[in-house]
Amino acid sequence: MDNNVKNKASASQAETKKKIEMPGFLTVAPSPHIKSHETTSTVMLEVIIALIPAFIWGVYIFGWRALALGILSVGACVIFEALTQKILHRPITVKDFSAAVTGLLLAMNLPVSVPLWMPVIGAFIAIVVVKQLFGGIGKNFLNPALAARVFLFSAWASNMSATSYTAPGNRINSLAWEMAEADIVSSATPLAALKSGVLPQVGITDMVIGNIGGCIGEVSAVLLALGGLYLIIRHIITWHIPVAYIGTVALLTLVFARGDMSSLSFMLYEVFAGGLMIGAFFMATDYSTSPVTPRGRLLFGVGCGVITVMIRYFGSYPEGVSFAILIMNMLVWYIDKATMPRRFGGKANGK
Amino acid sequence: MAYTFRGGIHVEEYKNTSHRRIEPMAAPKTVAIPMVQHIGAPATPCVKKGDRVTIGQKIGDVPESALGCPVHSSVSGTVIDIVKKLIPSGASVEHVVIENDKLNELCRDNKPTEKKLTDITTAEIVSLIRNAGISGMGGAAFPTYAKLKSALGRVDKLIINCAECEPFITVNHRLLLEQPTTVINGIKILLKALGIGEAYIGIEDNKPDAIKILEKLTAGSKMISVKVVKTKYPQGDERQLIYALTGREVPNGKLPADVGCVIFNPETCSAIYKAFAFGTPLTSRIVTVDGDCVKRPKNLLVPIGTSFSDLIEFCGGLVKEPKKIVSGGPMMGAAQWDPEMPITKSTSAILVLSEKFGRKSTLPSVCIHCGRCINHCPMHLMPMYIAQFSMQNDIENAEKYGAMSCVECGSCSYNCPGGVEIVQHIRVAKAAIRTEKSRLAALNSQK
Repeated sequence: MDNNVKNKASASQAETKKKIEMPGFLTVAPSPHIKSHETTSTVMLEVIIALIPAFIWGVYIFGWRALALGILSVGACVIFEALTQKILHRPITVKDFSAAVTGLLLAMNLPVSVPLWMPVIGAFIAIVVVKQLFGGIGKNFLNPALAARVFLFSAWASNMSATSYTAPGNRINSLAWEMAEADIVSSATPLAALKSGVLPQVGITDMVIGNIGGCIGEVSAVLLALGGLYLIIRHIITWHIPVAYIGTVALLTLVFARGDMSSLSFMLYEVFAGGLMIGAFFMATDYSTSPVTPRGRLLFGVGCGVITVMIRYFGSYPEGVSFAILIMNMLVWYIDKATMPRRFGGKANGK
Repeated sequence: MAYTFRGGIHVEEYKNTSHRRIEPMAAPKTVAIPMVQHIGAPATPCVKKGDRVTIGQKIGDVPESALGCPVHSSVSGTVIDIVKKLIPSGASVEHVVIENDKLNELCRDNKPTEKKLTDITTAEIVSLIRNAGISGMGGAAFPTYAKLKSALGRVDKLIINCAECEPFITVNHRLLLEQPTTVINGIKILLKALGIGEAYIGIEDNKPDAIKILEKLTAGSKMISVKVVKTKYPQGDERQLIYALTGREVPNGKLPADVGCVIFNPETCSAIYKAFAFGTPLTSRIVTVDGDCVKRPKNLLVPIGTSFSDLIEFCGGLVKEPKKIVSGGPMMGAAQWDPEMPITKSTSAILVLSEKFGRKSTLPSVCIHCGRCINHCPMHLMPMYIAQFSMQNDIENAEKYGAMSCVECGSCSYNCPGGVEIVQHIRVAKAAIRTEKSRLAALNSQK
């Protein structure tokens, strides 16, 4: 009896002993020992989710060719990223989906009528030249998709300029390598009309929902704004850049309205036309190429807004969003430095 | 409206043990009591191998003139060895190893104060706290008597830090639920010593039951008031708590006393009361044992010097392979390499964490310039830039960007989607800046 109890006790003791047997190695790493669930991959996936509705709308009004361009662009970006990293003996990081975001943004910034090889050239410029050669994610100083767009714009102006923007409703389902010019039913974009001081032919509701000519992904102001709102709610981006950017454009075009129309409707057309929505919510907020401080972000947004309106008013192009963002991209480091937050317990300007 | 500060993060709370009563844990067969459990000079053992000691007997002392706390035995028994071993912070210090005779004999020298609170002098309170070996029990381990002494005549507000913003830890919460009067009485002793009439108890709004008890206990008091603060990390950082409660910002490089505040941990207050009323020195403390690898997470009242593995065993052992054993909270605690580490006066928790709590991505760590660390930094620094300068060994710029103001709360690393160990890079920069400064000082003194 006694023996039995003893046995039991020693058995249970042995069991506990076994339970606390420590592994051979314990990890000694710096604190914190818990991490948020957010990773670069989840952040980039959220951006893709936010972009998808506007892209689907683009496919809906511009035809299947838009989808083909999207797939080509994303695929080329991902492959170029992996290839460059392989050649440069860097870890391959396509799993962070940042190349996919660049690819999607690039496709959304192309007119549907461009030749199928064009997104591939764009992807090369964006990923290899602008992103990887400058050190990869977080290191590039220009927005890759925008830099690629501007490159294509300068190299193949006839394919990329606003005069070749397909009119809405004339869906292009052809997957021809290059489109014959005769097959493209183009229309003057609202911005081109505004530039010459006349009211665009499309109504403001069409502008908001995106029933207008333009690049694949930039037309639906409402879907882009909803996507941007989603990113703000999910804490992926902050409100500063889009609000400052769109606010500046709205204010300037309201105060300095042109043409013989009410300044309010001129302002509304300016805000909903062109690439402002996709630019303000998705391009200007690109992490690597936008400031990190709240004040810096406001300044960046205002700067983008002023340059956009300047180009729209006085430049030779009808649209200035791409150039405005690229110019401001180059100032990010200085803006960060100049807008250093006041330290807790310190004096102004980071002292 | 709860008080708060700008910045900080919302972390998963994991307060699994907030409903677990504090269980006293019997002392193990042997305890190893380190002579350094505080900031300052190490204590010198005042017992020899073979000596018999009792609970509360002084076994290590520091000279009156030096900063430091005496150390007392947490068990009765025989000193079997005095050895140098490593403590959780990584330093090699002397340990007095005592074999427990399980007689639990108390030291007769420790008697309650004869005086009443109304006629005890400040100097007497200071020496009482010093003799009881009390150092800050929240984690920093600064000798309490020294903090009190340096605050004399300079402060108008006593703040009790019950925020307990670290995930997992419920030590203060349970203390406030189970022995709130010891804390309140400790506060009264401190107020008397400081000669001031205003104490704030800062407590996060995730402990409504404790708030209720405290409000009831302080209802008639004009001196002590309960201030509810928002549940946010790092609300328990003294600078953030002082700001939340008083609106005062502790200037860079200065201490709370410079803005008229002195801040204590509730368990320290409780220890002060026990030293005053019963003459018992600090020989045990409450520890939260938690983490997904621990079978039955608990709050334990543990004799100082008990090893981590004894506590884990007391909690039913492990249920899965641990990756890390953390001394302290998951945000600021230190990962341990040896489960035989002793509990010290400042060990508030032991967490045994599995793989599941680590970084979620296998991609290489890289800053994507998202700015989350800047939005969340409670000190309003630019952590990513300091980390970048640190990586490039650019000490000058790291300092210019405020590395020395970093409180190392880890909010930046916690939130970094790129998985950069930002706070660790800043720690490296801080160490380099300190080295550089002392090198320059040495050069100057040579001239």
